[in-house]
Amino acid sequence: MELKRNHKQELDVLYYCMKIFHTVAFIGCFILLSGIFSGQLVVSAQTESGQKNIFPAVPPEALAPLGTLLAESSLFDVNSESAGVRADTNNAGLITRVAPGELLPVSVKLSNFGGGTRVDVLLRYGIFSDEEKEIYVATETVAVETTASFVKNLQIPIDTAPGTYVAKTSIIYQGQLVPAATQFSFEVERKIFGIFQSDFWKYGIVILVIVVVLWWLSRTISRHRRTLRTTPFDYSNVPHATRTFYEIISDTIMQMRDRVGDSALIIASNIDGLKIENETGKVLSVTGRPGKIVADLVSEYEKLLGKKVSFSFRKEKTD
Amino acid sequence: MNTQKTVLIVEDEKSLREAIVDILHLHNYRTLEAKNGKEGVEIALREHPDMILLDLIMPEMDGMAVLKKIREDTWGAHVFVIILTNVSATNEQLVNDMVTHKPLNYLIKSDWKLHDVVEKMEQIFKAQNTT
Repeated sequence: MELKRNHKQELDVLYYCMKIFHTVAFIGCFILLSGIFSGQLVVSAQTESGQKNIFPAVPPEALAPLGTLLAESSLFDVNSESAGVRADTNNAGLITRVAPGELLPVSVKLSNFGGGTRVDVLLRYGIFSDEEKEIYVATETVAVETTASFVKNLQIPIDTAPGTYVAKTSIIYQGQLVPAATQFSFEVERKIFGIFQSDFWKYGIVILVIVVVLWWLSRTISRHRRTLRTTPFDYSNVPHATRTFYEIISDTIMQMRDRVGDSALIIASNIDGLKIENETGKVLSVTGRPGKIVADLVSEYEKLLGKKVSFSFRKEKTD
Repeated sequence: MNTQKTVLIVEDEKSLREAIVDILHLHNYRTLEAKNGKEGVEIALREHPDMILLDLIMPEMDGMAVLKKIREDTWGAHVFVIILTNVSATNEQLVNDMVTHKPLNYLIKSDWKLHDVVEKMEQIFKAQNTT
């Protein structure tokens, strides 16, 4: 019995020792973790090239616009449990150029490392000009249990002057030790016909140059082809008695080719007694009665054209 | 030096003849008129115009006969002649006659505006002055 009582006392002592040890260990861990996580709010932003930049926690004095919000943080109850909560924001600039009146999308990611405890995070979005003048501000509260990702659209005021602006996002939550903010710069530029001004002029000039070059090329080619087609063939090697017929036939083919295209060559090549060069329409030989060949050719062209054909004679050359 | 050119219009259709005369006056040409082929030959050989605008189908003497007569004359052998007609050159004899007597142009009336005819005349006179 005595032995049993002593054994129980030993167990009690062991139990209390272990309890004390657990308490000390818990307190030690808590202190250690608090040391690690104090000021651990990390803000990251993604640039337009997709590179993720991690910004260290920003000291309060470096964030003039946040001064008001930091003062407001006293509205929240700070308790020891929330001091271990870690929140990250991932604020990505999805686009870097917007027009006045358009929406600027900002990607936000909040992560709660506080062990499942819900944390209300106040987000403040602000747009600042080069002179640090705030032209837009919006706030919202987001409850975060584990993570929260969303895209916030900031409406750029319609009367915003073109220039470089900075979109700043800051977060405030209960038990926050160090303020955190992220920012990225973007351009505000007016649009012409739905295209940014600079792009409009840049692409407009390129398109204009291309159009002018193409127009000039097509005009030059067209003129060259026209010159080739309308330059009369020389038949000075043909005997004088039949030369005029060659010239009439050749000039009529050329004139009709100008009006109806290459079908003029096909018709001429089908006239009995007439042989022409298929590519150019140059008369190679006239083996039939020349007057009849001219009459047949004119007749065929009138059928094709649906109206009568005029023609000219060349000025007589002295041999 | 008087550079005003004289043009003889041989045309039996009065309205067309007067329209041609009017437009030629506007372009500072002196005009002569003949209402048939016979009159045309007489005026041409007497007045020696710088150019003849000749219709083909006419009373008393047709245009091709007029052209033959004029070409027989020493002066007429080289005078500028433009045929203004509605006759198609689809007849072998007509083609042969034209090749023989050489008008400068064979123009289809329905295919040509008077303004274009005057322009062609001016091209011919301009080419003559440069040679």
